[in-house]
Amino acid sequence: MKNSTLLFRSLLVIVFIAGGAHLVTYASQNSPQNFNSYDDTTSVNSAEKTSQYTINNETDYIVGKWIVKYNEKEFKGSILYEIQKEGNKFNAYTVSYLDKVGHSEKAKKTKTLSITSFDGYKGKGIYEIEYEGEIYDVDCTIDMVDENTFQLSYNYYEYNGFETWKKQ
Amino acid sequence: MIEFLSKKIDWIDIEYWFYIFNDLSLLYIIVPFFVVELIRYAFLKRLNKDLVLDSIANVITFGAFLIIEITLGILAITKVYFWIHHHFSLPHLELNLTTIIACIILADFAYYWEHRMMHRIGIGWATHTVHHSSPHFNMSVAYRFGPFDAILPIAFSLPLVMLGFDPILVLLSEVFVQVFQTLLHTEIIGKLTKPVEYIFNTPSHHRVHHGSNRQYWDKNYAGIFIIWDRLLGTFEPEVEKVVYGISEPLNSVNPVKVFFHGIARFFRKLKQINGIKNKLLAFIKPPDWMPKNDTIYESK
Ligand SMILES: [Zn+2]
Repeated sequence: MKNSTLLFRSLLVIVFIAGGAHLVTYASQNSPQNFNSYDDTTSVNSAEKTSQYTINNETDYIVGKWIVKYNEKEFKGSILYEIQKEGNKFNAYTVSYLDKVGHSEKAKKTKTLSITSFDGYKGKGIYEIEYEGEIYDVDCTIDMVDENTFQLSYNYYEYNGFETWKKQ
Repeated sequence: MIEFLSKKIDWIDIEYWFYIFNDLSLLYIIVPFFVVELIRYAFLKRLNKDLVLDSIANVITFGAFLIIEITLGILAITKVYFWIHHHFSLPHLELNLTTIIACIILADFAYYWEHRMMHRIGIGWATHTVHHSSPHFNMSVAYRFGPFDAILPIAFSLPLVMLGFDPILVLLSEVFVQVFQTLLHTEIIGKLTKPVEYIFNTPSHHRVHHGSNRQYWDKNYAGIFIIWDRLLGTFEPEVEKVVYGISEPLNSVNPVKVFFHGIARFFRKLKQINGIKNKLLAFIKPPDWMPKNDTIYESK
């Protein structure tokens, strides 16, 4: 068989199967029931859906600055994050680091958490964790304890973690 | 339908199902099956010292292979996977039935190509010849591995990570393909029904792959699906009785010899070749390649 035939047939297999997987994932991520069940029940929604994003009093209180304390081998101190609403998603960016004694240092703005669904009480998203110098994207869940505290937990294969986020 | 196919699956469930197939299958299929094979050998009066020692050598090479695999896995492979996944990947795919099935099919396709390369380039055959060097064919042969068998395939699995599949899912799928194949190393099962033989790799197709009969050389590279061989021109059905092994027999059950004989032969070949350029070419040229004026070396 000619090399070009082998290459062509192989590419066809890869495009067909990987493409199918991406299509299904894309379709499911863009189906409305995946995001924010409150959206569909509040009456203001349909009119505002055309604007850049919906204002939702049930969930938008999560926007703002949050601080998380860490007491780990690699890092002891706190990180200040800012959650912003972008489209219909919430994203958290690093703002600054605070060491144990309280010195703060400005952080490079990096997206560490994207909340893909949130109903005001519970949410799901993707969290970026650093482990031995490598960055991993892991699925996480968010549980509001009260208006000013939520718990972020992640479970990825055999890695489990748990953080408390406090409103600043 | 689409909801069922795209319903998110938790890691805990994925780990569970792969654990049942990838890990526990050793206890509930492979070992019992091997015992049946031993009974059959005894019945056919083929159970002799050579067969037993050969099987033990197989398991020992697997131990050596596993040590290399685990060391590399911890030191580098998983890290490279995650690094590539983070920096050079299409949008990441979430875990659902479609992505898991797609990942297994593509891992199988990657296996086809990695296996074909192992047969068709010098350094690949230097390590993979170990797997083919047993004159017997039973489930223990599936565990007979060479020293680089854990390293060369990475080049073929990394593209999967770049396509957006989760690195751990890719690794689990690769093990799945290996475990499926383990079950094909047997003389007990004849040909299965036509549709199965058409789509899947079966003991019959894999016996051909292990054949030293000339028409069986470099055929049936498949892992799970034989359709890759049909599609890419390397399919050969089992007709003539298969003679197992390689064209230049090893004649040894010494585990150290078994594990390193391919590399040793490859180095002997390198010594015979003149010039750096030709020596380097020997790594990527087919195993029977020799620069002109030199004699033809071992093939399969
Ligand atoms: Zn082979």
